[in-house]
Amino acid sequence: MYKYVIRRLLLAIPVLLMSSLIVFGLMRVMPGDALIALMGESGNINAKELAKLRADLGLDRPYHEQYLLWLWQMVTFNPGHSIFTNEPIPVALKKAIPVTLELAAIALVLGLLIAVPIGVLSATRQDKPEDYAGRVVAVSGLSIPDFWLGTLVITFAAIWFQWIPPIGYASLWDDPLRNLQQFLLPAAVLGFRLSSATMRMTRSTVLEVLREDYVRTAWAKGLAGRIVVYKHALKNALIPVVTIVGGQLGVLLAGTFVVETIFALPGMGRLTVEAILYRDYPIVQTNVMLVAATLVTLNLIVDLTYAWLDPRIRYR
Amino acid sequence: MASRMSRRKFLGTSAAGLTIALSGARAHAQTPAYPDWIPTSTKPPKRGGVIARASAWDPPVIDPRHTQSVGLYQFAGLVYNRLIRYAFSDEAGSPTDMTLKGDLAESWQGSADHRVWTFKIRKGVKWQNLPPLNGRELTAADIKYCYEAYAKEGVQAFTFQEIEGMETPDKHTLRVHLKSPNTLFPQNMAEPVAVVFPREVLEEDGDLKKRAIGTGPFILKEHTRKVRIVLQRNPDYYDSGRPYADQYTILSTPDAATRLAAFRTGQSDILWVASPSEADVVRKTNPNAVVQAYHNTLAPFGLALAQDRPPFNDVRVRRAISMAIDRPKQVATVYENHGMLGWGVPWIYVQDKAPTAKDLGPYWEYKPAEAKKLLAEAGHGKGFETTLFYYEYFPQMTSQVQLVQQDLKRNLNIDVKITKLDYTTYYGRYVEGKWDGLSWGFQSGHAIGLDERTYHYMHSKSTKNFFRVNDPQIDELVTRLRQTPDPAGQRAIAKRIVDREYDQVLRMWMPYDNGFLITQPHVRNGASRALRRTDGYGAPTIARIWLDK
Repeated sequence: MYKYVIRRLLLAIPVLLMSSLIVFGLMRVMPGDALIALMGESGNINAKELAKLRADLGLDRPYHEQYLLWLWQMVTFNPGHSIFTNEPIPVALKKAIPVTLELAAIALVLGLLIAVPIGVLSATRQDKPEDYAGRVVAVSGLSIPDFWLGTLVITFAAIWFQWIPPIGYASLWDDPLRNLQQFLLPAAVLGFRLSSATMRMTRSTVLEVLREDYVRTAWAKGLAGRIVVYKHALKNALIPVVTIVGGQLGVLLAGTFVVETIFALPGMGRLTVEAILYRDYPIVQTNVMLVAATLVTLNLIVDLTYAWLDPRIRYR
Repeated sequence: MASRMSRRKFLGTSAAGLTIALSGARAHAQTPAYPDWIPTSTKPPKRGGVIARASAWDPPVIDPRHTQSVGLYQFAGLVYNRLIRYAFSDEAGSPTDMTLKGDLAESWQGSADHRVWTFKIRKGVKWQNLPPLNGRELTAADIKYCYEAYAKEGVQAFTFQEIEGMETPDKHTLRVHLKSPNTLFPQNMAEPVAVVFPREVLEEDGDLKKRAIGTGPFILKEHTRKVRIVLQRNPDYYDSGRPYADQYTILSTPDAATRLAAFRTGQSDILWVASPSEADVVRKTNPNAVVQAYHNTLAPFGLALAQDRPPFNDVRVRRAISMAIDRPKQVATVYENHGMLGWGVPWIYVQDKAPTAKDLGPYWEYKPAEAKKLLAEAGHGKGFETTLFYYEYFPQMTSQVQLVQQDLKRNLNIDVKITKLDYTTYYGRYVEGKWDGLSWGFQSGHAIGLDERTYHYMHSKSTKNFFRVNDPQIDELVTRLRQTPDPAGQRAIAKRIVDREYDQVLRMWMPYDNGFLITQPHVRNGASRALRRTDGYGAPTIARIWLDK
């Protein structure tokens, strides 16, 4: 087990290096640079000032030097400053990460609360109206994009209930009630998207497990339906669901990019989108590496969870 | 590429369409006529309350030397003052009232040759009571220091470098010597970007990126990027009794649907929408909302041609292209008839009413047959291929670009290959000024002044001449304009400038929307003036807004 974990951690190094090369390369290949964006924001800057700024920021150095310098900054946990605001990146991240984490956590919980009961209901009422309704919900979740659903939700909340989440982020610790109001709707939008794949997987695996011999035995013993489904079938059916949820975390993070913009939440998504638009290299590169490292870690955790859920699985 | 509708755009459009349909939007044909001016309230103003606005803009840079972005100037004019200002909404008689009023200056006087301007600085003006200023009195030396700093570096250098020197004979007198006569100099100092900042902050911090301390009606209490900007009433403001509101909060809200929802639910007091149907949709849910139909005095966008090289250096080609474009169709379809045909110098300096197609001359009317003939005379009877790059500042722009592409293909057999760019790429390429073919060009949006809109944007040597105008007659006229003191003479020269521009098609202006300012029913004295939107460069007028509730 330990060997397996160490091997996976070592394998993560080339993955992260490759990610760093890709994001560094993409940012340099994209037309325009941070200085031009700065110039755009400003109105106009003369060539002399541009050259000075470029030298100050190290953007006049060869690419390989810039890349190595950045790698060194990353491994020493000193990612530098935003080109635009001059704010240290750790400070920006310290503000943005809790917002995205909270949004993702609530979305994940809501997604599971929607997905698992409906998935089980669909499976136990196969080909009945409840099943069709559940499948329609799942397909809707898969096909409706976040930005569309988010826009509809905020528009109709305003028209029908004369209410939308209060704008102007308040942290959970400063004002919990306001914070909860701000996060419920965006988390529901993200959670709905997240629930669809999980719902379909839950339905399939529950259907499969319900046909297993040990479930038939449970029925034959005269156990109540609730006990059979929830105690005997569901626990085993959830193992593949964990895989799906793990894989969906990437989708969840991507969803925050759009949902944070619609609901005016100052999280990682907005920070990254703005940084891409302004070609704020240090922020984009750091954020992408952070997401890559998070996904690598989450995948490892998901793999390790299998062994805990299913004693038959052994890692070598 | 702009010519294809992406899935994302299709879904987005569908969402917007569905929203409008379900919320019961009326067709444009039934649109009520909204007034273009909201007169000053006759009631006595009330003190107190919080004005809030959901805003699309979130300035990354707050140093006024380094940006002219509306993101900063949506509040900079409330923290800082200028030497001179335009009339506020409650003083103005109409949206086009361009009367100059004293701000930090009580009065000003030009010398006979208009090279020396003397400003009498208002006594008793205090910097806001924050360290390191701690409420000390403003003096003429402060303004001298600030103007010298502007001239030294940054985006306003061109404007302030025309100052040859300054002297302060006493604490409250500033004498400005210009390198050449300029009768319009006071107007340049009244532009919203010419704010006066303090010496101490620049010297302590090395820049103005972290703190904004001025003499203005509001104190910047909080600036949390992507969240909010909070401005609190300055109790020591020189204009005693003002501002009326205790606080003005700008909520960072990048999504348009969310800004609309915020207005509907009362979280935002001020909203800007582009089209009549959008204004109708708001009125459907908020029937008491006050709508002001806004009429621009100029268009900030137009078709920029690489007129310093073939084929666009041939005036016949420029005229043919201009006549082949159906501008009224763009106004009717893209802007739901609430738009302008397009011109670059504010019409208020040239004539009494907004120009009609006829006023703009023969080359601005839609005459496809004549256009084809003219292009053939120029040796391009079979048409040619060219490129056009643009950035979509607002959705209607893409429709306009596509209509131009269709018009040029149909009428002149000119194949235009369109490239839609992101803002950074577009801006860099456009301002660098080395591109070929066509671009959907712009001129800066902050200025209303005649000097800025003529000399600064059209003189061949100006750094702001993005349309690459290089016409000796224009150079001569815009220079003569700033040497002409009497308004009638200025008007006559301004007319000659625009006539020359239209005749030579030096900047091919395109239709532009006029938009609507919507406020909650309890907002008083918040009307927008020409190029001075209350939510943008006209923000200083917020000091005069009061809440009737």
